[in-house]
Amino acid sequence: MLYVITGGSGSGKSRYAEQQILDLGPARRIYIATMHPYDEESFARIDRHRAMRAEKQFETLECYTDLKNLEIPSGANVLLECMSNLTANEMYEPGAAGEDTVEEILEGIRSVQKQAANLVIVTNEIFSDGIEYDPETVRYQQYLGQINQTLAAMADMVTEVVYGIPLMIKRTM
Amino acid sequence: MKMIIGGAFQGKHAFAERTCGIHEGWADGLSCTLEDIYTCRGIRHFHEYVKMLIREDRDPAAFVQELAEKNPDIVLVVNEIGYGVVPMDKFDRKYRETVGRICEQLAARSEEVYRVVCGIGTRIK
Repeated sequence: MLYVITGGSGSGKSRYAEQQILDLGPARRIYIATMHPYDEESFARIDRHRAMRAEKQFETLECYTDLKNLEIPSGANVLLECMSNLTANEMYEPGAAGEDTVEEILEGIRSVQKQAANLVIVTNEIFSDGIEYDPETVRYQQYLGQINQTLAAMADMVTEVVYGIPLMIKRTM
Repeated sequence: MKMIIGGAFQGKHAFAERTCGIHEGWADGLSCTLEDIYTCRGIRHFHEYVKMLIREDRDPAAFVQELAEKNPDIVLVVNEIGYGVVPMDKFDRKYRETVGRICEQLAARSEEVYRVVCGIGTRIK
């Protein structure tokens, strides 16, 4: 099963996504973390989240770029968070995908899908503030928008979380 | 009248084409004339047309009224732009507010309104 969960920042989508994995039962739980820590604040944040997830028996795999070569224990239930980080990493990290970000990430997702029993992906709504950003930021929005649309088309279920309330916008199973 | 709304880069136009069965006869708010809006089957980037309306200091209420009379079956594809911090710039504030007010009135007149997220439209009216 592929399940895409979206929502604005602070919408409660992470907690909702974790719960979806827990509800899938006792199979091995893998968390693919995508935020590249770069300062004290992000290290502290990562430590806190790691401890929270350890209580829920998630194992954390770090993956900032090159998702397509990530090996995952087969048959695991996998939570990938967050597509907006992964997209930025592939676009801007030296030696990463750059202009090929959309295809690179989709290939990565297909690879994870093959290895995992179920894959839950958390992504981000960053498209409705009406601000006319610089061309580079618009390109980031465009890439993430394309990725979100393709993932949603592939997915069995898509949910938008609004203040912790899940709005099921696609369900095929 | 129908409206397809949602954030930028959500696949709204493709959804509108599929859902409304309109594959040609689209006007583009970035470049179209008022006459185009009154004769087209659908308009994309409608918010951009509203921006021009403000620049030309025309009356939004009169525009809505005339649009509803002259092209009552139009399909409007428009960005939701009101989910950010209040803009610092006066024109940007007016733009955001005017798009909101105009779309509120047009949604009230629409038989169908869809909101598109990740390419998936949900009928909200």
